[in-house]
Amino acid sequence: MVSQPLCEKYRPKRFAEILGQDLAIEKLKTFVKRFPAKKAAILYGPAGSGKTSLAYALANELNAELLELNASDFRDKQSFDRIVRPAIQQASLFGKNKIILIDEIDGLTAQDRGGLAELLSLIEKTNYPILLTANDVWDRKFNLLRKKAELIELKPLGYRTIFRLLKYIASKEGIKANDDILKAIAIKARGDARAAINDLQSILETTAVEDIAERDKQEQVFNILRQIFHSKPNNYLLRLMETADINLDELFLWIEENIPTEYEGEELAKAFEMLSKADIFRGRIIRWQYWRFMVYENIFLSYGIAAAKTRAKHGFTAYKRPTRILKIWLANQKNAVRKSIASKYAAYCHISTKKALRDFYLIAFILTNKEIAEKLGLEENEQEFLRELVKKSPKSKITK
Amino acid sequence: MTEKKVVSSEIWTEKYRPKSFDEVVGQDEIVKRLKSLVKSMNIPHLLFVGPPGTGKSTLALIIVKELHGDAWRENYLELNASDERGIDVIRQKVKDFARTRSLSKVPFKVIFLDEADALTREAQQALRRTMENFTQTCRFILSCNYSSKIIDPIQSRCAIFRFRLLSKKDMEKIIQRIAKAEKLEITDEAVEALYEASEGDCRRLINLLQATASISSKITKELVETIVSVAKPSDVRVVLDYALSGDFEKAREKLLDIMLKEGISGLDMIKAIQKEVWHLSIEPELKIKLMEKIGEIEFRLVEGSDEFIQLEVLLASFVLAGIGKSSD
Repeated sequence: MVSQPLCEKYRPKRFAEILGQDLAIEKLKTFVKRFPAKKAAILYGPAGSGKTSLAYALANELNAELLELNASDFRDKQSFDRIVRPAIQQASLFGKNKIILIDEIDGLTAQDRGGLAELLSLIEKTNYPILLTANDVWDRKFNLLRKKAELIELKPLGYRTIFRLLKYIASKEGIKANDDILKAIAIKARGDARAAINDLQSILETTAVEDIAERDKQEQVFNILRQIFHSKPNNYLLRLMETADINLDELFLWIEENIPTEYEGEELAKAFEMLSKADIFRGRIIRWQYWRFMVYENIFLSYGIAAAKTRAKHGFTAYKRPTRILKIWLANQKNAVRKSIASKYAAYCHISTKKALRDFYLIAFILTNKEIAEKLGLEENEQEFLRELVKKSPKSKITK
Repeated sequence: MTEKKVVSSEIWTEKYRPKSFDEVVGQDEIVKRLKSLVKSMNIPHLLFVGPPGTGKSTLALIIVKELHGDAWRENYLELNASDERGIDVIRQKVKDFARTRSLSKVPFKVIFLDEADALTREAQQALRRTMENFTQTCRFILSCNYSSKIIDPIQSRCAIFRFRLLSKKDMEKIIQRIAKAEKLEITDEAVEALYEASEGDCRRLINLLQATASISSKITKELVETIVSVAKPSDVRVVLDYALSGDFEKAREKLLDIMLKEGISGLDMIKAIQKEVWHLSIEPELKIKLMEKIGEIEFRLVEGSDEFIQLEVLLASFVLAGIGKSSD
C-alpha cells in the first residue's frame, strides 16, 4: 500500500517545510554565510527533531550537492583516501556547491582508528562546509570537536507541531484518522517526529487505530490519578491538568469513579465534597459562560482532592474506567420509548415532558386504556411497552 | 381480576379540568381578581407563581376562553420553556404567532409560557425584549414554581398571582366530584390516602385516582397505597442502607440504577431520600445533620452541572453517618 516509509516521503526539502526549528535554521544560515570562519557545524538534539532533514534542506536551499559520509568511511586508510579525501577537496562533479554530512557521530569513539581524530583532521582540511549530527554533544569525547565546530541546537518538537505535521500527512495520504487519535500519537511521540510518523504509518497498515490512542491516553490519565490520590498536596498539582491533553470532563469522570478505590470514610467524604465544589464551578461556567471559573474547577479537582487524604499513599492501584456515561447512554436508548410516550401525553395534557416523565408510572396505568392510547396517537410498540410495564410492576400484589 | 374495571376513554385531568371560573375549586382570591380583570377585556402580562398542580395552566386556559370565546384556539399559544430547545426557538414561535392580529373582539392574543423558570437569566432577558416588542398584539402569561427564579425586569412588567397548595377540603371535593361522575365506590380511608400521596398537587391526585380506578372501581386504601408504592422511586432505602454500612460503591451503583431505570431526576431522588431519613435507625442528632446536608445538596443541584455527582456527595455523608460521624 505504501511504497516508501512515510517519514522518508515527507522529509522536508526546504527550510519552510521544517517545523518548529526557526532558531536552528537562522543559526545554520549564519554558519554558511560565515564559512570558513568555522568549517563544521554540529546539529544536535533528540531523535526525530529534524537534524538530518535540516542538512538536506540546506543543500536544497543552496542548490548544493549533499555528500553523505558514514562513520565507517573513516575506519581504514584505504577507504578514507579513496572516498573521504576527494570528497572534501575536489569540486562537485556538476560544478555545484557541495555540503558534507556526517550523520550520527555519537557512534564514533576517541580511541578507535578512524575515529574522532580523523574527523578532526578532516575538518582542518575541508574546502566545503561539514555538517555533523549528534544526539548528545556534551559527551566528554567531543570536547575538542565542540571547540572547532559551530553548535546548533534543535529542540524537541512540541506536540502541537507534531500534531500539525500528522494532520498534514494524514490529509495528503487520505487517512481518515480523527484528531483525538492524531493528538494521542503526537503526545506519545514526545518530540520525535519520526516516531510519530511511523506510528501514523502503522495506522495505515494495522487496524488497531484506537489502541495507540487509547493506550497512551490511559497512561496519562493513570498518571494524573496517581498524582492526585497518592501525593501530598503540593503546588505542582495546580498545573497538573495542563500537563495532559485530556478533556477535563472526561478526567472528572475518572476521578469520580476512582475516589472510592483510594479513599474511605472521612477521606471519601472530603474528596467528594471537593468534587461537588468543582462541579458547582463547572455549572457556573456553563450557565454564565465565564471560563475563568475553570481555574477553580481545576484546583478543587486536583489540589482539593489530594488534600482530602491524611497522609501520602503508596503502592499500585489499578484504576477503573468510568462506566456511568455508558450506562446513561444505554438507559437512554431504553428510555426513548418512554420519552416519546411522555411527550405525546404532555402535549395533550398541557404539561412538560419532564413533568410527564416524573409521574410516568401513574400515567402508564391510565394510558393502557386502548381508547386513550389511540386518542394520543400512541404507536403499537408504545402501547406494548406500557402493557409490559404495568404487567411487570407488582401487579401480582395488586390483583391479590 | 373479577372486579369490574372502570372503562373511561378520557384522561381525567383533561376531562375534569375546570372550563370556567365558576368550576375552579380553591384559589378563591386569585379567581376573583382574574374575573374582574377579564371583565374589562384588557389584561396586563401575568405571572403565575406556585407549586405544580394548583391550577396555573387551567386558569390560563379559562382566561383565553373567556376573552376569545369560540375563537380561543386561534388566539392562544402554549409553550413550555423546559421542552423548547432554547430561547431562540421560543422567540421564533412567538414571532410567527404574533405576526397577525387577533380577529376577535379582543385586540390581543394570549401566549402561555409554562415553566418560565427553566429559562436562564440571559434567556429571560431576551424574553423580556420579546414581550415588549409584541405588547401591541400579545399578552403573556408566564408560569413558574418560584418567583425568585424570574428576573426582576420581567416581574415588574407582570401582575403577579401566587397560587397556594389546594386545601384538604378542596381536594376531597374534587375526589368526590369525580367519584360520582365515574361511579366509583371509594372509602373515606382511600380519600385520605389519595390526599396524602398527592401532596397538594391536583394533577397528581387525579392521575392517581384514575390509575387506581384502572385496576378496580372499588377504591380502597390498600389499592391506593399499592399504586403509590409502584409509582414512587423504589428502593431508596436500599441505597441508604448500603451507604450506612460503609459500602459506598454498592450504594452509588444502586442509586444510578434506580435513577436510570425509572428516569428519576436528581431533585426527586433528593426528595425521596429526605423522607426516608426519618425511618433510619440512627441518632436523632445525626438525622438533623443529614437534613442540613440534604438541603445543601438540593441547593447545589441547581448550581452544579452534574446531578449525580452532587448525590454522591450525599452518599458519602451517609457513609460517615454509618460510623456515627457527621461530615462537617
